[in-house]
Amino acid sequence: MCASVKYNIRGPALIPRMKTKHRIYYITLFSVVLLGLIATGVFQFWPHSIESSSDWNVEKRSVRDVPVVRLPAGSPLPERGDLSCRMHTCFDVYRCGFNPKNKIKVYIYSLKKYVDESGVPVSNTISREYNELLTAISDSDYYTDDISRACLFVPSIDVLNQNTLRIKETAQALAQLSRWDRGTNHLLFNMLPGGPPDYNTALDVPRDRALLAGGGFSTWTYRQGYDVSIPVYSPLSVEVDLPEKGPGPRRYFLLSSQMAIHPEYREDLEALQAKHAESVLVLDKCTNLSEGVPWVRRRCREHQVYEYPQVLQEATFCVVLRGARLGQAALSDVLRAGCVPVIIADSYILPFSEVLDWKRASVVVPEEKLSDVYGILQGIPRRQIEEMQRQARWFWEAYFQSIKAIALATLQIINDRIYPYAALSYEEWNDPPTVKWSSVSNPLFLPLIPPQSQGFTAIVLTYDRVESLFRVITEVSKVPSLSKLLVVWNNQNKNPPEDSLWPKIRVPLKVVRTAENKLSNRFFPYDEIETEAVLAIDDDIIMLTSDELQFGYEVWREFPDRLVGYPGRLHLWDHEMSKWKYESEWTNEVSMVLTGAAFYHKYFNYLYTYKMPGDIKNWVDAHMNCEDIAMNFLVANVTGKAVIKVTPRKKFKCPECTAIDGLSLDQTHMVERSECINKFASVFGTMPLKVVEHRADPVLYKDDFPEKLKSFPNIGSL
Amino acid sequence: MQSWRRKSLWLALSASWLLVLLRVFPLLRLAVPARPRAGAPQGWPRWQDTELLQSFSQPGELPEDDPQPPPAPRGGSCDWGACFDVSKCRGGGLKVFAYPVAGPISDTQRGILASIESSGYGSVSPDEACLLLSLEAPAGECSPLPQQWNGGRNHLVLGLHSNFCPQTFQLGQAMVAKASPTVDTFRPGFDVALPLLPEAHPWRGGAPGQLGQHSPHPGVPLLALAEERGGWRTAGTESSACPRDGHCEQDHGPEQTHPGATLPNATFCLIPARHPDALHFLQALQAGCIPVLLSPRWELPFSEVIDWTKAAIVVDERLPFQVLAALREMPPTRVLALRQQTQFLWDAYFSSVEKVIHTTLEIIQDRIFGAPAHPSLLWNSPPGALLALPTFSTSPSDFPFYHLQRGSRPAGRFSALIWVGAPGQPPLKLIQAVAGSQHCTQILVLWGSEKPPPSRWPKTAVPLTVLAGQKKASDRFFPHRALSTDAILSLDAQSSLTTSEVDFAFVVWQSFPERMVGFLTWSHFWDEARGGWGHTAERANEFSMVLTSAAFYHRYYHTLFTHSLPKALRTLADEAPSCVDVLMNSLVAAVTKLPPIKVPYGKQRLEASPPLAPGGPDPQPPAQDCINQMAAEFGYMPLVSSRLRLDPVLFKDPVSVLRKKY
Repeated sequence: MCASVKYNIRGPALIPRMKTKHRIYYITLFSVVLLGLIATGVFQFWPHSIESSSDWNVEKRSVRDVPVVRLPAGSPLPERGDLSCRMHTCFDVYRCGFNPKNKIKVYIYSLKKYVDESGVPVSNTISREYNELLTAISDSDYYTDDISRACLFVPSIDVLNQNTLRIKETAQALAQLSRWDRGTNHLLFNMLPGGPPDYNTALDVPRDRALLAGGGFSTWTYRQGYDVSIPVYSPLSVEVDLPEKGPGPRRYFLLSSQMAIHPEYREDLEALQAKHAESVLVLDKCTNLSEGVPWVRRRCREHQVYEYPQVLQEATFCVVLRGARLGQAALSDVLRAGCVPVIIADSYILPFSEVLDWKRASVVVPEEKLSDVYGILQGIPRRQIEEMQRQARWFWEAYFQSIKAIALATLQIINDRIYPYAALSYEEWNDPPTVKWSSVSNPLFLPLIPPQSQGFTAIVLTYDRVESLFRVITEVSKVPSLSKLLVVWNNQNKNPPEDSLWPKIRVPLKVVRTAENKLSNRFFPYDEIETEAVLAIDDDIIMLTSDELQFGYEVWREFPDRLVGYPGRLHLWDHEMSKWKYESEWTNEVSMVLTGAAFYHKYFNYLYTYKMPGDIKNWVDAHMNCEDIAMNFLVANVTGKAVIKVTPRKKFKCPECTAIDGLSLDQTHMVERSECINKFASVFGTMPLKVVEHRADPVLYKDDFPEKLKSFPNIGSL
Repeated sequence: MQSWRRKSLWLALSASWLLVLLRVFPLLRLAVPARPRAGAPQGWPRWQDTELLQSFSQPGELPEDDPQPPPAPRGGSCDWGACFDVSKCRGGGLKVFAYPVAGPISDTQRGILASIESSGYGSVSPDEACLLLSLEAPAGECSPLPQQWNGGRNHLVLGLHSNFCPQTFQLGQAMVAKASPTVDTFRPGFDVALPLLPEAHPWRGGAPGQLGQHSPHPGVPLLALAEERGGWRTAGTESSACPRDGHCEQDHGPEQTHPGATLPNATFCLIPARHPDALHFLQALQAGCIPVLLSPRWELPFSEVIDWTKAAIVVDERLPFQVLAALREMPPTRVLALRQQTQFLWDAYFSSVEKVIHTTLEIIQDRIFGAPAHPSLLWNSPPGALLALPTFSTSPSDFPFYHLQRGSRPAGRFSALIWVGAPGQPPLKLIQAVAGSQHCTQILVLWGSEKPPPSRWPKTAVPLTVLAGQKKASDRFFPHRALSTDAILSLDAQSSLTTSEVDFAFVVWQSFPERMVGFLTWSHFWDEARGGWGHTAERANEFSMVLTSAAFYHRYYHTLFTHSLPKALRTLADEAPSCVDVLMNSLVAAVTKLPPIKVPYGKQRLEASPPLAPGGPDPQPPAQDCINQMAAEFGYMPLVSSRLRLDPVLFKDPVSVLRKKY
């Protein structure tokens, strides 16, 4: 930039001189050329150079060019690994400090190549999978490049496979990491632990307090609540395209497809095959394959050749036997094929068993029961098998199918331990998406009849109909269980009447003034509401008797998770128009109650105000209509239950149009209400309303029984 | 010359301009978009030779593992597969033999023995049993090893109190079920963690949960802290008074101590990590106060099956401020769910010694059962695994309780089960009325009369089967194999119903598949004069039972009645037939904690034929005892009253009959 400005200043001065003096002219010519060259040189090395170097860093570096670190022979070794470690003893939680997002921060050490004193490398610098794993962490929300803010440290030293590294030197490399500190808060990933001849079930590299995400833990090496058990990744997950196959009975009942099976166990399996020839298939390595055929992808039974992993889709149950190691990559292939794994590996800690419910997707059989396995599996009901098949496939999709899935599930588990109050639930971990969609978890699931003594709070939404409001207040105050009355004054232009003018009633009366004339104000969770039961009532509902209201409250106590209301309405599917229609005629069915007079739990106020899906709340406020339909949708959607209509139908004075003055129950109104139903159904993505054919009446309603002995005699009369 | 010079001058000039421009443009282009990128986290590099990296395992390596012979179980440490011989349980399922207690027997031990017997798993012979149970002496002294010890194989050493014989840890292959075991010695999947019970824990029945309402009352303090002396200290919503070690000082905020109150009244109950505080855990559960455990060193009770993340919060005591902030900001939805779950768990598994013992045995039974055992859903949602028998089904959809969670709906079919007692006439009119219902798929006649059943039955649209019943009243609730639908309409030969009534009642039942839906009602009451419970068939403003002579309910209750009701009660039912209604209603109420549902019944017939109740017009004398004996066996009065009846929407409304469906 500077250079170009200089040039511009000099340029005009040069041109007039050149005509007079040649020497000057040449000098000028050269200086101009020189200037250009200098400018070029400056740009080459000065500001541009910073940009390009960072570009280079991200895109074009080679693994072979990473810095080399020489480990002196006597450099320190970490302790072997503390079996008594738990999160509250070995993990430094202070490093995870306060984090408003409840998310741990993970730092990844930069890649180095470690060599011993004589220059021999300690291990392969990095494997494809470990590179993928670190990339996945780096791309996730957990990643931080600020080592001082990190809570978890992931070394870039690749220990996925113990066979590819030198144990002592790798441990030395770990110990010299800048924040090692006895391995506190360090996380190592290992899928193939141990080595010949005795194959330990956890990584043999001394690692002190470091957490180990390991494939193939046994109960003896797994530190419950500290280590994370992970799957052994199957490279076939990316190499082979295996479309999903739905659950159901398959050609073989039981299949064994592993190649390296201990002869004793193979004998047992062969015996099973001999006994149940049609339904059991035991495969082995192929011996006579022609050159060039990838033998990993073939299995044989005598001379019959089967393609692997495709053959797994032909079986209902697939044996996953332990080999030298407990963790087997075959588990991943089996799950993917939707085949229910029969896990025969004593003391094996199943992948992610801290959060995954393996009972739903697998059968665990003790090794000594291998010969009984057929009988054990036969005892499982068919419906359960289908569910297990579906579950197996879902586990693969969610937690096995890629290195990324494995890495993120591991971090999520550790995150859940550190922030338990924000942890994922059992259902979030285990339920397949289809179940998550169709199931309802009622927020008020505990069967409980609240005590009558608590009473209810009546909330009257009003604008300016003071006379009618006062009548409603007087009527409602006669109900024995009323404990408080709240008037929501929705008129900003007019003050509510003076205190002295209000009717004198036996319960506290509070007036809340609102900032804006919105219909949603009636469902705001006011601090003044102290009871669980809320009665929403319009300022013109004067026809309900005290008996009817008290009975409504009693009904609510028996159904505290529902909307309990008086005027009932119905939604219908209009086949001609192919959309929903609102119905207020005398029908045999009910799916909604109007909130012009309805009891409900105050929790639904919170839901309406803060958790209403989509733009429904604003839509209602803008249209000044349908707040009751929105409430019906919300409650039905979250509880999965129908409303309760109480007592016979009465002639309500235009219950539809209470909030909007002057609008009558005419055609346009019905059209608008139908529009609401269609709009809400599209926002919810489903039609949550439930249709029922009953209403609630007092036990002795219309029975031939002395009226004065009835608890609620004054019901239904006009 | 001049022109050449001029030309070369222009050439040089334009060349240098060109050079400058060439350098400036890329600079500008780079400077604008690249600046923000330079500040972003650098991340893991994208290596240029990613494609060339080798896989962590070579293709041959995974399957080429050296096959190894099976290892012997390690001495000292045990897990289920290695140290329990399941084959002994193959024949008769779980059978438990408890060694007789040496010396004086304590109340708790008596309770444990009685609970084992009532569980149905009890066995009198140690040879037949597949689980041998050795009770710990209460004071912590060691009892001698029993004779069939066999290295502890298939043994369960059970102690409800924390002071345990130190020998326990050398017990080798025996499972240990003890109160609040420390995390370090607990063997997951093998040992069973029990709750630490107070000395005076009731052995049966047990106090119900204290939660009166779903959501916390606005005035209730946010926190209560367990104190060492056993009480609770409550702190207001200003909870800044708790320093790092989790001990709240009393110099801030509106706090008070309740030396006398044993149960906390707060939303969250902070329980420190010390071992004796395990006792506080149950108190918090009972009170519906969400336990917040400060990294306990003990294993939570029944952690093998109970998902404690749904009812309690285990936090790290080293981050008290974060924890308090998290509690204060916890969304109401979560608080609501946690609170309710504490109550459910208390009621289902902890409120009595009997429940604790039954849960322990059920866990072991589940392990023996293997794959088709109780799914997690059954353990962790009402009514709990003790009331959802796996012998009935292992699929949640077969039970009446889980339709919501599963997103399913009860099927639209029912079976009518007509009980013909002595002296029986074939109820032809009733059969026609019931068969007329579009939802009816089969009619079963349970012939309990002396006379042989008639050979000819009326022709009906649905299959009619006659089952030879025994003369016992409890036989009515036997889970007959022929019952193929979830819904059962239980009827008496004397019942009279119209098709429309049946249809309506069935549609109502579909909305409440876990409850009984009936036409005629009884109610129970506390009789001050006699100091006991009584019940009456008189019509009243409320009711708590519906008569099984005309009621819809789920098939599962037959299984529950036959297999889970104490034997003494079933015998009672056989002796006093009118007792079956009380028993069935109590059973369903104990499971659902809700009242039954009444639907309207034509009143003309009500007056014409009052003795619909089996056992004649006045069932009082034997039945009164029935209800009291039932309450004694349950340990509390399970019946719940209702004040409402469900009618068709247009019931008795002034509209044309043509518009009414029922």
